[in-house]
Amino acid sequence: MRPSRSFRIFRTVALAVVVIGLLAPLLWMITASLKTNVDIYDTGKAFAFSPTLDNYANVLQRANYVQFIGNSLWVAFAATVLSLILGVPAAYSMSRFNMRRSALVVLMARVIPGVSLLVPWYYVFSNLRMVGGFTVLILSHMFVSLPLIVYIMMGYFDGLPTELEEAALVDGLTHIGAFRRITMPLSVPGIATAGILSFIFSWNNFMFALVLSGADTKTLPVAIFDFVGYASIDWGGLMAAATVVTLPIMVIALFVQKYVVSGLTAGATKG
Amino acid sequence: MSTVTTPDTRSPEARPALPDGSAWSRWANAHRKWLFAAPAMAFVAVLIVFPVAWTGYLSLTDAEGSVRAESEFIGFQNYLDVLADTDRFWPAVWRTVAFTGVVLLFEIVLGMAIALLLWRPFRGERWVRVAILLPLVATPVAVGMMWRLIFDPNIGMANQVLSWVGIGPQPWLSGQHSALPTTMFIDVWQWTPMVVLILLAGLTSLSDEPQEAALIDGASTWQRFRHVTLPLLMPTVVVAILLRGIDALKTFDILYATKGRGGGSFHEVETLNVYAYGLSFDYNDYGVSSTVLIIFFLIIIGVMWALTYRKKGLQR
Amino acid sequence: MRRRSILGTSLAVVVAMGVAACGGGDSGEGSDTLRITLVNHVWTENLKKALPEFEKQSGLKVEVTQLGEDQLSDQYNVKLNAGSSDIDVMMYRPLQEGKLFAKNKYLADLTDRTKSDSAFEFGDFQPGPVQATTYEDKVVGVPIITEQEVLYYRKDLLEKSGFTAPPKTLDELKAQAAKVEADNPGVAGFVARTGKAAAVTQFSSFLYSFGGDFVDAGGKASVDTEQAKQAYAYYGGMLKDHGPENISTDMSWSEAMAIFTQGKAAFYTEANSLYKNATDPAKSKVADTVGFAAFPAGPAGSKPYNIPSWALGVNDASENKDNAWKFIQWAAGKEQSLVQQKAGVPGARASVWANPEATSTYPKDLAEATTVSTANGVGHDRPLVVKVAEAREIVGQPIVDAITGKDSAASADAANEAFQKFLDDEAK
Repeated sequence: MRPSRSFRIFRTVALAVVVIGLLAPLLWMITASLKTNVDIYDTGKAFAFSPTLDNYANVLQRANYVQFIGNSLWVAFAATVLSLILGVPAAYSMSRFNMRRSALVVLMARVIPGVSLLVPWYYVFSNLRMVGGFTVLILSHMFVSLPLIVYIMMGYFDGLPTELEEAALVDGLTHIGAFRRITMPLSVPGIATAGILSFIFSWNNFMFALVLSGADTKTLPVAIFDFVGYASIDWGGLMAAATVVTLPIMVIALFVQKYVVSGLTAGATKG
Repeated sequence: MSTVTTPDTRSPEARPALPDGSAWSRWANAHRKWLFAAPAMAFVAVLIVFPVAWTGYLSLTDAEGSVRAESEFIGFQNYLDVLADTDRFWPAVWRTVAFTGVVLLFEIVLGMAIALLLWRPFRGERWVRVAILLPLVATPVAVGMMWRLIFDPNIGMANQVLSWVGIGPQPWLSGQHSALPTTMFIDVWQWTPMVVLILLAGLTSLSDEPQEAALIDGASTWQRFRHVTLPLLMPTVVVAILLRGIDALKTFDILYATKGRGGGSFHEVETLNVYAYGLSFDYNDYGVSSTVLIIFFLIIIGVMWALTYRKKGLQR
Repeated sequence: MRRRSILGTSLAVVVAMGVAACGGGDSGEGSDTLRITLVNHVWTENLKKALPEFEKQSGLKVEVTQLGEDQLSDQYNVKLNAGSSDIDVMMYRPLQEGKLFAKNKYLADLTDRTKSDSAFEFGDFQPGPVQATTYEDKVVGVPIITEQEVLYYRKDLLEKSGFTAPPKTLDELKAQAAKVEADNPGVAGFVARTGKAAAVTQFSSFLYSFGGDFVDAGGKASVDTEQAKQAYAYYGGMLKDHGPENISTDMSWSEAMAIFTQGKAAFYTEANSLYKNATDPAKSKVADTVGFAAFPAGPAGSKPYNIPSWALGVNDASENKDNAWKFIQWAAGKEQSLVQQKAGVPGARASVWANPEATSTYPKDLAEATTVSTANGVGHDRPLVVKVAEAREIVGQPIVDAITGKDSAASADAANEAFQKFLDDEAK
């Protein structure tokens, strides 16, 4: 079924519009981050301006962004790894034993409005003397990551044939042994997918970090608001900060595009 | 992370011996179902049960000011008050429903159109896929800030672009009636790509035979879409609606970053989530806030249940 | 190998979690680490520059958390609510959150400390601001930044339209705004905040100058008085008739300031603390032509607000109160107050205001306008209640209705009724 010529022209034009529509705002954000505030306020200088890296220098030096980048990386990484440790075996069990009801318990975490969790969590954790470090922050991000991982991995295990495991049992492996030596290695693509997605969602998380992070543990999405002052908005700095937050995750996503796509579309084709 | 490991193909003899005989191993294998599943479930349960129970309790009290302050048990009074509140609560419900409904409609229709265009391979496909991925992974708060600058009525690019085609400046996010549609636009911009990816995955998994059969029968492009592709794709569409629907109902980051607490002078973008947040953190009305949250939670569960039910119906 | 690497990673994470968990608990009594939470503000930037000096002299390590005002207040609401001790010193808005925080006992009683310290000289602070940081006769905060409302205007536009001096009265303001607008197409005569809650503070000076207030002497809601109705009609009418085209009803200072600094408005009433946005050539196109004048007089005279916008308090749950006070002594002390005031942040110390050096860096007309405002000023710019955010939205409604051309008098009546109900609820 080779598409007709007119369809191909239409497709090219339509997709060009889509691509421009999706990318132009991001490019505009980067452009604005390279302008002085005077140029940003001067609509006549939309494109004709002399680029400057001052905003980035400002972001990286004055505002401790290097530390915030480190925080974001550490929180997203720790939350992802811990969620994988909890989530992958759980998803396996839920898939193999068809524990749909139990799965709902975990997936409930995705459904509940985050606002209702903040104050109670903080109350409990501060009484447990756990606030102030990364622990609470990581736990709260795991709350986002875990249901995501369970959801993706359940779909993955559902699609994984059981024959190899059964063969391993015949070979004398225990059930847990078969999971560890046969199923896990086979699931590496799925785990990578789930891990990457969890990393992205954790990196982007705002609401939990807004109230649960402190001076030393502030993550990037919260740090963006450093540029909204009581007496001034530094648009250039704000856009540079937004770029610093967004660019790394976009670059990572592009490198592992295949996994991101399969993670986002998990469950789409099970029917 | 991306290396694909093949299963251990060594013979059993070549593997290190396992502590098969130990009592622990036997116990663990026998109880592996719960051994595997319980930690994750316990983690979520521990983090959920107390907050939900506490929210439920607060919703029955007149707690305000501080959650540690003395409060009185007032039964279901908050629920009666909230459900009778046509000033803030019901408009917020309406906005939540409108926001979710409109963005879902646009995202599904646009997403379907784009996915159909991307269905068959062509040159340059990779670039389109890259463009589709980027808004999706961009940090929502940063995205909100970005659009705030673009939609600024005085210095924003949006009005600049309109002026090139001879249209006067629009208030966008700062207009009483244009703010909600503008935030919807932002949501559609960010999340249509997700719908595209989901639908594309669904389309790719369809077999070609029904299509070819319809072609031989002389069906037009529209007829093939309407009577062959769409019905086959319907389960995937429902998945997309379900996944996007939950997140759209709970939209927060974009609204917070563009309009702040309270959702503007006329609460023009105040959805249930934003309203509950404002009740908690702006008004310190914990009793009422908890009530709104519980109702909101029930609405989400209701919608989810309805959609899953519908999904099951479709599979039959 | 796969197995070992997974085990290794999980081990590393468990160890790291343990370390992180331990790291959270070092806030014991009299700890050398002081945790202070500050808002994004010029004051904070100035303070951070001087901070190493304090750390050296006191031997303390200071950890600063810095946030936008809304995010700051969200963090307080969560942390203080939970009785957290991981904030020692907190920067807060006495008029916005002060009453709530004091009522909830989030703020430590500083009365004895302020009295016993002669070098700090608490009596030096202006009485208005001190009143705002006092709750039930206890001092719960030390005011550090004050604000007065002034009139920003464009010297060049006024000159072009033949005015030799900025308006002295609100009637003159209206006349001049109309004339300048007529003479300069595309330039609005007047701009000010329009957001329902955001506008309340800047509207308050109009309200007082017309002879009204949010609450009358008897504690009753009074936004339906004839004076209040006139003030609503004037403020909203100015924005409706002489404001920018397609006026948004959601402008806070940043949007209104942008219009002014873009050269798209002739007059602008705003807090003086924001003046650098208008005079800094890096942010403002009209930096060379901005003038400042005292708030124009209404029927009741020129009565702008003169308020403490920010204060420092000590978290009552802090286990490090002595060191927290040491920090306040330094940060709100005479020396730092002078440094801050010279750097453009008006403070609350009378001795600093009396020192000509303190305002030497200000535009001359701004310093004069501020002096006038300080003398005639009213000590609040919003209703003095516990739930300020809610109250602002109630009394702000007629402003928005006036701007959009609705019946502002009827709206004021409705707002008064709602406001009275609100006050009754709060009194319970």
